[in-house]
Amino acid sequence: MKKATTILAIITSFLAIILSVLPVSNLAIFPAIAALVFGLIAFYFSKKSGHVKKIIQFTFLLTIIALSITIYKAIFTTIEVADTETLEAKENESEEEALKDLEDIDLEELEIGG
Amino acid sequence: MKYIFLLVIACFSITLKGQNNAIAAGEKLTYTAAYNMSGILTNLAEVTMETSELKTSKATLLRLKCTAATYSKWDNFFKIRDLYESYVNPNTLTPYLYKRDINEGSYSKAMKYTFSHKTKTVKSVQTKKNRPEENKTVSIGSGTKDIVSTLYNIRLLDYDDMAIGDRKTFTIIFDRKEMKGQITYLGYETIDTAIGEKECYKLAIGSDQTDVLQGNNNNILWLTADGNKIPVYGKFKIPVGNGELKIKSATGLLN
Repeated sequence: MKKATTILAIITSFLAIILSVLPVSNLAIFPAIAALVFGLIAFYFSKKSGHVKKIIQFTFLLTIIALSITIYKAIFTTIEVADTETLEAKENESEEEALKDLEDIDLEELEIGG
Repeated sequence: MKYIFLLVIACFSITLKGQNNAIAAGEKLTYTAAYNMSGILTNLAEVTMETSELKTSKATLLRLKCTAATYSKWDNFFKIRDLYESYVNPNTLTPYLYKRDINEGSYSKAMKYTFSHKTKTVKSVQTKKNRPEENKTVSIGSGTKDIVSTLYNIRLLDYDDMAIGDRKTFTIIFDRKEMKGQITYLGYETIDTAIGEKECYKLAIGSDQTDVLQGNNNNILWLTADGNKIPVYGKFKIPVGNGELKIKSATGLLN
């Protein structure tokens, strides 16, 4: 039990740290919670047996770092659209082309006012 | 993003011949498109719907423009810069010209439809990266519209005259094929949005293309129950998951 929970704590804490640095950082919350739970169980069994491995404390450290990054990104990262120059240029170009195309279309069939 | 647009499209398209009393040039609606990742909604892209006038030597048309652009944090992973346009009769929103230019990751494609309502045909030109230009003429029904104009046309319906459960069908041309869709009026609902608390018409959206919109009443759209009937919120379920479209801002409204 102690070994299994320690391994799970390591895996989930690493997963949390990886997810926290990706754009999907808010997903890191799930492995982070799992890492905390497994870490605490592993810590409890280790303490019971009289020897707490350093790796368990390390998983706690990783989890805290992952949670800090996730919370920081959730609060301070502003969502914005960047690099729109190409799209704007395309919009203008497309309008000019459309104007040429529309000059060739028979618009009278729909009785539009000029 | 294609699915999001198809949803939005299906959300809106309708065969109608009503007069336009809801949409004017200069209107700009901005939305946030969010996708459900493992139960957490993640904002993916910004969608805008904008109208402007376009004067030709013969007439003044209404340009309906929709764009979709991923937020900067996603650009390195999957960059989307899509442009959809429709040039329509400002009174009836009947389309003359439709253009679609999509850039999604390494995939790009452009499509142009020129409508001839007299002959009930659409002349299409498709351009893909490293492929020759494809020209094709497609026969259409009398009420068939492109995605963008149908998207705006839904706002011309008179929902006050509809009873709960009433359905309207619509035909749109997408990827050079006609497809059928329908909306079901579900009644009034008041919802909180970024532009305030709004009383809305609640509509369920369906399509005969099961690969686009899935399930019954899984795709819901809320239109403001006022003269503008702007879409303020949408929930959708598509083959790759589910998500929502939330309004961020609305300017230049007619009413």
